[in-house]
Amino acid sequence: MDNVKETKPKKKQKKKMSYEKQKGLYGYGFIGLWFIGAVIFFIIPMVESFLYSFQNVNPQAGGMKGDWVGINNYAEAFSKDPHYREYLIQVLKDTAMTTPLILIFSLFIAVILNQKFKGRAFARAVFFLPVIIASGPVYAIITGDMDTSGTNGAEQFSTVFETDMVTELLEFTGIYGLSDTLTQTIKTTIDSIFGLVWKSGIQILIFLAALQNIPHSAKEAAVMEGATSWEYFWKITFPYVSPMIIANLIFTVIDSFTDSGNAVMGRIIDMQNEWKYGVAAAMVWSYFAIVMIVVGIIFAVVNKHVYYEVE
Amino acid sequence: MSKLKNVVDERLKLRKTEKEKMAERRALMTKEQLAYVKRKDAIEKIWPFFRFLILFGLCFVILYPLIFMISCAFREQVDMNDPTVMWIPRHLTLDVIKETAQAIELDKTLWNTVKLNIGCSLIQVVTTSITGYGFARFKFKGKNIFFGIVILMILVPPQVILLPQYDQFMSLKLINTAWTMYLPAMTANGLRAGLMIFIFIQFFKGLPKELEDAAYLDGCGPFKTFVTIMVPNALSSFLTVFLFSVVWYWNDYYVCNSFFNTNKTLALMIKNISTVLKGALFNDASLQVSTRELVVWTQAACLISIAPMLIMYVFLQKHFTEGIERSGLVG
Repeated sequence: MDNVKETKPKKKQKKKMSYEKQKGLYGYGFIGLWFIGAVIFFIIPMVESFLYSFQNVNPQAGGMKGDWVGINNYAEAFSKDPHYREYLIQVLKDTAMTTPLILIFSLFIAVILNQKFKGRAFARAVFFLPVIIASGPVYAIITGDMDTSGTNGAEQFSTVFETDMVTELLEFTGIYGLSDTLTQTIKTTIDSIFGLVWKSGIQILIFLAALQNIPHSAKEAAVMEGATSWEYFWKITFPYVSPMIIANLIFTVIDSFTDSGNAVMGRIIDMQNEWKYGVAAAMVWSYFAIVMIVVGIIFAVVNKHVYYEVE
Repeated sequence: MSKLKNVVDERLKLRKTEKEKMAERRALMTKEQLAYVKRKDAIEKIWPFFRFLILFGLCFVILYPLIFMISCAFREQVDMNDPTVMWIPRHLTLDVIKETAQAIELDKTLWNTVKLNIGCSLIQVVTTSITGYGFARFKFKGKNIFFGIVILMILVPPQVILLPQYDQFMSLKLINTAWTMYLPAMTANGLRAGLMIFIFIQFFKGLPKELEDAAYLDGCGPFKTFVTIMVPNALSSFLTVFLFSVVWYWNDYYVCNSFFNTNKTLALMIKNISTVLKGALFNDASLQVSTRELVVWTQAACLISIAPMLIMYVFLQKHFTEGIERSGLVG
């Protein structure tokens, strides 16, 4: 036994330097495949698309050919294009409106789903269901069905279900006749609840996981001190969940910006379909720059107010 | 059994004594404290009712489109114009489903989709896990720069790089082949690969280092260690990432729309569903038909396209939700 004890550490020390170095080389080995792929499928295309944004790009038999036009593409995107600026503002506005709503809503639902009650498993399953559907093309059709603005046939049809039920409920409770603005507000709220619920799946999931990570001691202490659930939420739940709030915030913002269904993305696809690749690239890059700035600002501001548990 | 009974009895006794204790404590309380306790009790009694209302309403909002889909897919078109038919169709039929399946060439499309989907997801889980492990457990020069590229991959929307990628595949004559999806997956650069690498990094960081050190001392090389020690320990996380990857590939229509000229996958079929249906039902894709007339077929197509995901979700729901908690995304 003694012999083994003496020889082993020596060997270990001798090997240690080369071992560390070796390990580093193995590290390159592990990420090597990805890095080659990243250069081919990510970095080169990114640089190329950046160059496109300064060129007048024409697709030809041998590939793309471009003439250097400087910042003309950017100028065209912002000043000449009839929709780009308008869509840009619309997307920024939408994101600014829906993100806080999604966060508050998903935290609220996560808190509820974290309580104990009958049928909790079922409720959870239903609330996470949008995760598997909302990123696909079916969602567009579903929202088309649920849209009560009635611009095409399917929508008129589904209003039979949706709005009428709301109207009936309002009439039943006697709110309906009171004032037009009130009715309208209730109706728009109900419409947007649909979008809200369908977009909050992942956020609820992440919040719920964070809630389950709150240490039991914190809960006990709060109960002993006789905290009301309101106090409990603000003094225990909220601080513990706050790192996940910022994660969710950034996730939500990026998800909303990069959603293929949003107006700016739609405009960019239109430009590509019109073979105006240079302008499309300029739009993409200016849009991306704006998104990065927004995310950076959010992160800088919110990160200051986040409570991190020291480990 | 008797043991169990004993335990239960003891519990009951304890509860009783707790009740008695509460009564004793109440006798000692001031008026304010009593009011507080009463208020708390009242809230605790009312809250479940409100909770039920909220959850029921919201669950309905989520399930409504699915119920609508099912209800529409099994009815004849006549029922659409019948105001007395709301949920339960008067003319139950499977014809609509059959017609739709024919219109979207279900057998071919489904096989294509599954091949592409499962293949890409499997490959990508393997490649991203290897990359993630490399980031999580090895120190090497320039790691921060490489990690920065991973973060960029998460942030840059695919729209930015699709066109040059198209150009690349064009020059390799790979457009309209499955290679456009397989090649990026093989090098851990496919759909949302950045996010997957990130999840794996977080997950592997959370596993204890002693596991591998023991293997190294026994003379196991890093790659062998990864395959024999880390992978078996990480299986649940692998499954979660795989499931999400399947969902993302299944739902993707944007990337494959750029690389495929024909509607090869289910998602593409759904994206262009009204054109497809008009072509199949009226032999004229450019015909002007209102969406209302196509409702039953559209809903049937939607149902067909999400059914596999729904079935998968029903059976593997736990892995979707628990995996996120375990994968280290949180905390």
